[in-house]
Amino acid sequence: MNFICNFPFFSILLSLFSGTICSVLPAKAAKVVNRVVIAVIGLLSAILLLYLLSVGEPFVYWMGHFPAPWGNEIRAGVLEAGMALFFCIIMYLSMAGGAHKLYDEVDESKHNLYYILVNLLLSSLLALVYTNDMFTAYVFVEINTISACGLIMIRQVGRTIEAAVRYMIMSLLGSGLLLFGLCIMYDLTGHLLMSNIKESVGLLVANGEYQIPLIVSIALMCVGLCIKSALFPFHAWLPDAYGYSTVSSAAILSSLVSKGYIFLLIKIIYRVIGFDNFNSTRIIDVLFVFGLMGMIFGSISAIRENDIRRMIAFSSVAQIGYIYMGFGMGTQTGMVASVYHILSHAATKSLLFIAAIGLTEVSGGSRKFADLTGAGYRNKWAGVAFTVGSLSMVGIPLFSGFISKLLFAQAAVQVEGKMLASLIVLGISTVLNAVYFMKTVIRIYTAAKDSPYGGMTFGKMKIYAITLIFFMLVNVLLGVSSQPVVDLIWQGLTMFS
Amino acid sequence: MYMILLSVFFPILAGVFLLIRFRTPLSGEGNASKRKTLVTLTGCFLVVTALFTGAAILTQKEGVTLFYLTKTLPVYFEIDRMGTLFSLLALVVLLCAGFFSFEYMKHEERESRYYGFYLLAFGVLNGLCFAGNLITFYLFFELLTLSSMPLVLHTGSKEAVMAGLKYLFYSLCGAYAALFGIYFLYRNCETLSFSAGSALKASAVAEQGGFLLAVAFIMILGFGVKAGMFPMHAWLPAAHPVAPAPASAVLSALIVKAGVLALIRVTGLFGRDFLQETWVQTAWLGLTLTTVFMGSLLAYREPVLKKRLAYSTVSQLSYILFGLAVMNEEAFTGSLLHVLAHGFIKAVLFLCAGAIIYKTGKTRVEELRGIGKEMPLTMWCFTIASLGLIGIPPTGGFFSKWHLAVGSLKSGLPVFDVLGPVILLVSALLTAGYLLPITVQGFFPGADYDYNTLQKKEPCGLITVPILILTVLSVLVGLFSDNIALAITAAGL
Amino acid sequence: MIVSVILIPFITGILIPIIPFEKRRQKEIFLETAVVLNSILVWYLLLHHSDSTFLLAHFTGNLSISFRVDGMGMVFAGLVSALWPFATLYAFEYMTKEKNENVFFLFYTLTYGVTLGIALAANLLTMYFFYELLTLVTVPLVMHTLTREAVLASRKYLYYSLGGAAFAFLGLIMVIVYGTTTDFIFGGVLDPAKITGKTDVLLLIYVMAFFGFGVKAAVCPFNSWLPQAGVAPTPVTALLHAVAVVKAGAFAILRLTYYSFGTDFLRGTWAQDVVMAVVMFTIVYGCSRAVKETHIKRRLAYSTISNLSYILFGAVIMTPLGLAGALTHLVFHAVMKICSFFCAGAVMHQTDRHYVHELNGLGYKMPCTFGIFTVSALALMGVPGLAGFISKWNLAQAAVESGNPLAWGGVGCLLISALLTAIYMLTIVVRAFFPGKDFDYATVNDAKDPNWKMLLPLFAFTLCIIGFGLRSQPIVDFLLTVANGIE
Repeated sequence: MNFICNFPFFSILLSLFSGTICSVLPAKAAKVVNRVVIAVIGLLSAILLLYLLSVGEPFVYWMGHFPAPWGNEIRAGVLEAGMALFFCIIMYLSMAGGAHKLYDEVDESKHNLYYILVNLLLSSLLALVYTNDMFTAYVFVEINTISACGLIMIRQVGRTIEAAVRYMIMSLLGSGLLLFGLCIMYDLTGHLLMSNIKESVGLLVANGEYQIPLIVSIALMCVGLCIKSALFPFHAWLPDAYGYSTVSSAAILSSLVSKGYIFLLIKIIYRVIGFDNFNSTRIIDVLFVFGLMGMIFGSISAIRENDIRRMIAFSSVAQIGYIYMGFGMGTQTGMVASVYHILSHAATKSLLFIAAIGLTEVSGGSRKFADLTGAGYRNKWAGVAFTVGSLSMVGIPLFSGFISKLLFAQAAVQVEGKMLASLIVLGISTVLNAVYFMKTVIRIYTAAKDSPYGGMTFGKMKIYAITLIFFMLVNVLLGVSSQPVVDLIWQGLTMFS
Repeated sequence: MYMILLSVFFPILAGVFLLIRFRTPLSGEGNASKRKTLVTLTGCFLVVTALFTGAAILTQKEGVTLFYLTKTLPVYFEIDRMGTLFSLLALVVLLCAGFFSFEYMKHEERESRYYGFYLLAFGVLNGLCFAGNLITFYLFFELLTLSSMPLVLHTGSKEAVMAGLKYLFYSLCGAYAALFGIYFLYRNCETLSFSAGSALKASAVAEQGGFLLAVAFIMILGFGVKAGMFPMHAWLPAAHPVAPAPASAVLSALIVKAGVLALIRVTGLFGRDFLQETWVQTAWLGLTLTTVFMGSLLAYREPVLKKRLAYSTVSQLSYILFGLAVMNEEAFTGSLLHVLAHGFIKAVLFLCAGAIIYKTGKTRVEELRGIGKEMPLTMWCFTIASLGLIGIPPTGGFFSKWHLAVGSLKSGLPVFDVLGPVILLVSALLTAGYLLPITVQGFFPGADYDYNTLQKKEPCGLITVPILILTVLSVLVGLFSDNIALAITAAGL
Repeated sequence: MIVSVILIPFITGILIPIIPFEKRRQKEIFLETAVVLNSILVWYLLLHHSDSTFLLAHFTGNLSISFRVDGMGMVFAGLVSALWPFATLYAFEYMTKEKNENVFFLFYTLTYGVTLGIALAANLLTMYFFYELLTLVTVPLVMHTLTREAVLASRKYLYYSLGGAAFAFLGLIMVIVYGTTTDFIFGGVLDPAKITGKTDVLLLIYVMAFFGFGVKAAVCPFNSWLPQAGVAPTPVTALLHAVAVVKAGAFAILRLTYYSFGTDFLRGTWAQDVVMAVVMFTIVYGCSRAVKETHIKRRLAYSTISNLSYILFGAVIMTPLGLAGALTHLVFHAVMKICSFFCAGAVMHQTDRHYVHELNGLGYKMPCTFGIFTVSALALMGVPGLAGFISKWNLAQAAVESGNPLAWGGVGCLLISALLTAIYMLTIVVRAFFPGKDFDYATVNDAKDPNWKMLLPLFAFTLCIIGFGLRSQPIVDFLLTVANGIE
C-alpha cells in the first residue's frame, strides 16, 4: 500500500490534534497553527487527488488492520479527495478573509477557543468525507454539530446565542433522526460499514424483504440530513445562525458545514443504499418538490429581507434547494449538477459573506440596505467582490453559477416528468436571485450624498483584499474551465458505486 | 421626358426654396420690398409650373420611370387622359387661387410659409395626376396630405390647429387603410400600373375573391376619407373653413378630388367586372347616397358661410362617388363632368366668400344682407356658381347630374337605380335651399335696408379677375358638356 | 482579427479612466479615433470575411465561445459599427453638461465591443454570454445620473433583462440537448431524431425563450423598463435603447428562430400564433402609449417598443421574406430612431426642455434640428420615399405572402400603428412650427441649433433615411440573400 494512502487518515488526525494543541497555545500561535494545518491538509489532499487520478481507482484504508466487517474503514476516491481539497481552500480563504473581523467581534480570550473549534470542524468534515463507516459518520456529525454551535456562539451577542440554541435543537433533532435511521438499518442488515450494508440492502431489495422498514430507515436518514443542511422547510435555524455569527463562521457554516452533510447524504445514497434503490423510492420526489419550493421561497424571503447578511443567508436556502432538486431528478447527471453546485455555491457564498462584511464595515457596521448606499465606492474591493458573487449567483456566464445552472438544466431536460417543472422554477428562481442580488449591487453603487463613513483603501486591508481576489479567482476558474471539474465529479461518482 | 418631372419637381423645389429663403416672418415695417420679391417670385413660379404642366401634357406620350423604391416598385409617371383632366382642372384653379391670394394674403402672418406649401401642393397634385402606378400614386397621396396640412392650419388659431390635426389624422387613417389594400393588391395583381386596366390575377380571384372584395371595400373607405365620404367626413367641415379662403378653394376644389381620382384608379385596378353587383358596390352606393343627403342637410342648417360651403363639398363629392359606384359609362361620364363643374364652381364660391371676408369681415350668412349691393360683381359670380351647383341648365352642374341620373336609371341595380336619382334631386333642392337665400338676401335686402350706409366695396382686380375666369369656365363646362363627355367616352375609361 | 474588434473597444474603454488626459479634447480625439478605427476594422472584416469559425475557448463539454461572420451578423455588426462613431461624436457634445464622463465613456465603449460580440457570435452560447454581458455593461449607463429615478430605472432594467435571460437560457438548454450543435445554421439545428414526441415541450420552451430575449426587445408585457430607462443621457437612450440593446434582443430572437429552432419546426404551430399575437398587440400598445406620453424621450421610447415589434413581427412570420422584412426594419429603424432621439437630445441639451408641450415655436429657432426631426417623423410614419416605407412594405409583403390570416391582421396592426405614429410624431412637429397665433416668440429666444458635433450625425442620418428610402434596392437585395440563408 502506497504511503499516500495514509493521507486521509493523517489529515483527520492532524486537524484533531492541532485542535487539542491550540487549546494551550496563545491566540496568535493558535492562529498560525490553524492556518498551517489547513494548508498542509489541503496540500495532502491535492497530492492524494493527483495520486488517485493517476491510479484511477479508489482505495480502502483499514484502521488498525481489522478487515471488514469488523474494522473501521476509510475510503478515498477522486471525489473525496477533491472535496477535501476544496473544503480546505474555502476554509483557508474564509478564515483569512474574516480574521480582522474576529478581533472586533470575539473576545480576545476566546480566540484560541475559536481555532480549536475550527480545527475540530475541519476534522469532522474530513471524516464525513472520507469515512466508510456509518457509525463513524454519525459520531463526526455530532462533533460537527457541536463545533458549529460553538462557532455561532463565539460572538456573544443575544441573537447569536438564540441562534446557536435554535441551531443546536434543530441539529440534534436531525442527528437523532439520522441515528434512528442508522439503527433500523443496522437491524435490517447487521452491518455498519457502508459497503457491507449496500450488499445486504441489495439482497433485501432483490428478495423483496423488509420493504417498509427499509424505506423508513432511508427516509429518516434523509430527513435528518435535510434538517441539518437546511433544506426548505427545515431552514428556520439558518438565517440567524448565518446572519449574526462572526463572518468567518458564517462563511464556513454556509459553504462547508451544510455541504458536509449533503456530501454525507450523497455517500449514503450511493454507497449505502445504492443509487438505483434510492431512486426507486418515492423519496426523491419529495426531495425534488422540497428543493423546488426551497428555490422559490428562499429567494422570496431573501427579497423581503432588509439586512444584507440575512439576505445572503436566505439565499443559501434557495441554493440548497437547487442541490436537492438535482438529487430529486434521480439521474447521474442531476447528481453531477448537484455536486458541482456544492462546489460553486461554497465558493460563491463564502465570497459573498466575506465581501458583505467589507461593505458593512465602511457603513458604520450597519447591515441595513439604506446605510449601505454607496458602500461599493468606499470599499472598492468588497464592492467588486460582492458584484462578482452576485453575478455568479444570478448565473452569468464566466462565473461558476452559470455552469451549475447549465448542468441542472441539462439534467432536467433528460428527466421526462420533471423537466418542465424544474426548468420553469429554475427560470423563476434566477429572476428572483437577480432581484435581490442586483438590488444590492445597485444599492452599493449608488453614490450616497455626503456619507459619514470613511472609505477603505487597499493598504488598510491587504489580506482581506487578497482573499477576495482569490475567492473571485476560484469562482471564475470554476466558471471558465469547468470541464475538468465536471469530469472529476463524474469519475468520482462512478467510483462510488 | 423631363417635362413631366419638371412639372412635378419644379414647384416642389420652388416651394422648399421659398420656405428656406423667407423663413423669418415678414410682418412689420420695412418688409414691403421683401414681400414684393416674395410675391413676384411666387407668381413666376406658378406661371412657370403651369407652363411646364401644359408642356408635359402636350408632349409627354410615354411613361417615365424615375427610380425604383424596391426592386419591383418603380416610381413611374405616365400621363393618361384621366390624369390630363384632373391636372388641367388643378392647373386652372391653382393659378386663379394663387393670384387671388396675392391680394388676400397681404395681411396674414408668415405669407412665405403659405406660398411655399402652396407650391408644394401644386407639385404634389401634378405628381398625383401623372402617377402611372398605384405606388407612385400613394406616394403623392400621402405627400398631398402633408403639404396641404400647413395650409389648413396656416392662421395658427387654436381652432385651425385642431382642424389641421384632425385633417391630418383622418387623411392618414384613410391613406393607411388604402395602403392595407395596396399591400394585398400588390400580391394579387399582375401589375400596379394604371395603363393595364383591371390587373387582378385570375387565380387570386378564384382563390380568395371574398377576401379581395373586403380589401376593395377597405380601400374604398380609405380613399373615400379624402373625398369626404360618410362615415369619415367629419374632418372636412372642420378643416376647409379655417384655412385662408384661397386655400379653402384649393382644398375643396382640388385636394378632395384626389380621393376621387384615387377611387377611379382603384376601381380601375380591380376592374368593374370584379366589383359589379357585389356587396361592395351596394355598400358603396349606400354610403355615397347617405353622404349626399346628409351633406346637403347639414349645409342647410349651417349659419357660417364657409362652413356651409364645406358641407356642400361633402355632399357634392359624393355625387361624383355615386357616379363611380354605379359603374357604367353614363354615370362615369357624369362623374367626370361633375369633377370639372364642381371644381370650378366650388373654387368660385370659396373665393367669393373670401372676397367678402376680405372686404367686410363678415362670415355668417345672416350678416350678408345687401352684400350684393356692396359687391355686385362678386355676388353675380357667386350667384352663377350657385345656380351651377344646384344644377340649373345650361350650367355644368345640370349636365353632370343629368348624366348621373340617367346612368343610375340605366344601371338596372335593385333599389338604387331609382333611389339614386331621387336622392340627387332632393339634394339639389336642398342645395338651392342653402345657396339661393344668400343671393336673394344679398341682392334684395328687403324694404328696411338702409341704402344710405351702402358703400361700394368691390375688391381689386387681383381678386375679381380670378373669380371671373373661374365663373366663366364653370359655365363653359356646361356649354361644352357634350364635347367633354364625348372626349371622356373616347378615352374609353 | 475577429476577436480584436471586440477587444479594441474593451481596451479603449478601460484606458479612458486610466490615462490622465490633460485636456478634454485629447480624450475626445483618442476615443473617437479608436472607435472609428474599430468601425473601419469591422467593415473590413465584413467585406473580406471568410466562412471559417474562430474558436476562442472551449467552455464546457462541446460548448465553445467562438465567432464567425455570417449574413445576419454582418447586418447587425455593420449597422452598429456604422452608427457608433456618430453617436460617440454626439456624446462628446452632450456629455459636456453631465458629470463622471470617464465612467460613462468607459461603459459606453465597452458596450460597443459587447454588441459586436453579439453580432459576431457563432453559436448560441456565445451570443447568450454577450447578451448577459450587455445587460451588465449598460446598467451603469442607465444609472449614470444617479438620481433616484435613474437608480430605480436601472434596477428595473436589470431585473427585467436578467430575468428574461433566465428564460432565454432555457431555450439555450433545449438547443444544446435537442440540437445537433449550438452553432447557428440557417434553418435550425434541432435533431429530428431526438425531438419526436417532444414537440409541445419544445414549443413551450421556444415561447419562453422568445419572451426571454423579448424582454430586451421590449415585447409586451415586458416593456416597462424601456421608457423608464430613458432617464439615461440621450446618447445612451438613442444608441442603446433604440439600437444596440433593444436590437440585440430582436437579433437574438431572429437567431433563435431562424438559426436554432428553425422555422420549419415552428411555422404553423400554436407557438407561432401566440408570439405573433403578442407582437401584434405590442405594436399597437406601444404606439398608443406613445400618444399618451408627454415626455419626449419616453414618447420616443414607446415608439421604439412598437417599432421593435415590427421587427419581431417580421421574425415570427417565419418565412425568408419575413426575415428580410425584419432585417430591413432592423437597419432602417435604427437610423430613423437614432435620428429622432438625437434631435430630442439636441433640444434637451440646448434648451433644457423635456416635455412635448414645452416645444411650442422652437421650430423657427432650431430649424435644422426640427427639420430633421420632421424627416425622421415622416420616415417613421412610413411616408413613401423615406426609409420607413420600404421596411414596412417588405414586412407587409411578407405577411401577405405568408397566407397566414393572423399575419394579415398584423398588416392591419402595422397600419394602425402608422397612424398612431403620425399622431405622436407630428403633434411635436406641429407644435414646433405652428405654435399658434398668440405665441410669444420671445420665450424661445434662448434656443438655437447645436454645434457641428451634434448636427453632423443628424445630417448624416437624415441622408441615410432619404437615401435608403429612394434607393433601397442594394440593401434589400443583400438582406434577401441573408434571409434566404445564402450569405
